[in-house]
Amino acid sequence: MPKHIFRLLLLILGVVVVAVIAPQFLTVDSFYRFGHYRANSVPEIAAKEPVLQTARYCQDCHTERHAQWSASNHKSVTCEVCHGAALGHPQNGKLPIPKDAAKLCTLCHEAMPGRPRTQPQIQVAQHSGGQQCTVCHNPHSPKIAAALVKVAGNDTAGKQKAADCAACHGETGISPNDTWPNLAGQNAAYLVRILAAYKSGDQKDVAMTPLAQALSDADIQNLATYYAGLNCKGAASGKAAGDAAAGKVLAKNCVACHGETGIGSNPAWPQLAGQQPGYLVNVLKAFKAGLRKDPMMAGISRGLSDTDIANLAAYYAAQNCQSTK
Amino acid sequence: MKKEDTKPTLEARRAFLAKLAGAATCAGAVVGAATLGVVPAASAKTEAPSDGASFPTKDYDWTKHQWGFGVDATKCIGCLRCVEACKTENDVPLNAHQFRTWVERYVHLEGEEQVRIDSQQDPVNIEASGSEKTFRFANRYKDAKVDKAFFVPKLCNHCTHPACVQVCPTGATYKTEDGVVLVDETYCIGCRYCVQACPYGARFLNEEKGVADKCTWCYHRITKGLQPACVEVCPVGARVFGNLKDKQSPVSLFIRNNRVQVLKAEMGNAPNVFYVGIDKEVN
Repeated sequence: MPKHIFRLLLLILGVVVVAVIAPQFLTVDSFYRFGHYRANSVPEIAAKEPVLQTARYCQDCHTERHAQWSASNHKSVTCEVCHGAALGHPQNGKLPIPKDAAKLCTLCHEAMPGRPRTQPQIQVAQHSGGQQCTVCHNPHSPKIAAALVKVAGNDTAGKQKAADCAACHGETGISPNDTWPNLAGQNAAYLVRILAAYKSGDQKDVAMTPLAQALSDADIQNLATYYAGLNCKGAASGKAAGDAAAGKVLAKNCVACHGETGIGSNPAWPQLAGQQPGYLVNVLKAFKAGLRKDPMMAGISRGLSDTDIANLAAYYAAQNCQSTK
Repeated sequence: MKKEDTKPTLEARRAFLAKLAGAATCAGAVVGAATLGVVPAASAKTEAPSDGASFPTKDYDWTKHQWGFGVDATKCIGCLRCVEACKTENDVPLNAHQFRTWVERYVHLEGEEQVRIDSQQDPVNIEASGSEKTFRFANRYKDAKVDKAFFVPKLCNHCTHPACVQVCPTGATYKTEDGVVLVDETYCIGCRYCVQACPYGARFLNEEKGVADKCTWCYHRITKGLQPACVEVCPVGARVFGNLKDKQSPVSLFIRNNRVQVLKAEMGNAPNVFYVGIDKEVN
């Protein structure tokens, strides 16, 4: 064999020998334990500390809030989605409470093509007149609570019972006075709900409470059916002290529940169109002072000045009401 | 006796070195043969833990689990909470282009044949979110006539025959006994061969660490009885995770109760993320 070939083969053999022997000394012990990888990297990866702590971690201290949240529609949205990861809390201080709720809420709830129909979605520009979501919705229990009650009363029986109510609310459900509300044509479901609230004590009113307590549940159903069937009068009779044009601008914020002209689409909430302005002013002030209880109206009325209230009342009083049927 | 004062000749030196090299090679060959005889016994695959304890942690035995993942694309609302949660949980670099999981939006506009696809890294969507650190889909089709649109979340499929594991030159990426494909950061040399090999685009190079990175199904969480971060935060239940060995786990029920499919089945990787509700363009 030529010398140069022999030397080349010898060199190759040398390299092969090194390549076989060296890995025996250079390979880490845990390599090849389970396969072509370093087995000890698995426990190293598994040992990393989780950052997101899950809602169960929050429950230990925030028990009441957790209970409210886990009974709500938002129970599938864990705390850390809105408040940030809880690793290091409470040692490192408070977790942020989102300030711009709309920016956060619309991530999921803005109406967007591609989102399944089952996802509650809103047209952002038309939903709340630019108000923050949290004015009406509690993020920990966001569904608005006016449950629709069933109305199945007898309006003849209701008419009989309504004779007792005529002194304040009028023979035909149109109140003779600026202070007491018109009932003619009001949503029956709302009337049932509010009378039941007066009866149970959920709402308190000096005049209505004793009267409602004297009513049976059947009476309430009948009265609601009767009044809902009456014809409401066009616009209110009382003279409104506020500026209806200014009220119209404010009323844009109320559209979602009460409709553009005070005729809402959800029968659980009251019609406002053509209502007595004095009554509207008193009720809004009562909401603002917390004397009349409603979680949504409380938030909304908080931002209203007395002038705003007068203007809103003037606007709604001047609207044409519509009979419910 | 005085030696003749001559330096060894060139030929003599060469002959000596050749003999030395030959002797060393023969000795090496003998040692090599000896260790070769010993090594096969020592490097048996799937060797049981030598001390009998559970692996990888004392509270978690990987032989009892075979993890699987389900995606219900009919439920996804494209809120991108999963992308943000994953970045928070796993220290993924906070920019638009490096992510372990992502969501794609498919939109068919009226009169158009070609589907429009975008994901959270699209510049239009980055502009809508305001920064590369938070994510949001821009409502760009709000005023368009949309025939059909849907969202598809995607992540590493943790394939049974992963292409990325096959090509790794150092053994840095591997498939564990419980079915998760992981990356050993100390052994990765950042050659990006795996990034190229993955047919799903699930891998990327983490520039901060200089190694390949990808979804690990939050291995550090699942070995502690928690769920992966993306599954934990999804508000609509579009992501499902569980132990395929347990017939009542969420993922087993998901597979049993739905008509599921996988992405790019023809590539032979045998992925373990099962999709419901994806369309013909999704691959």
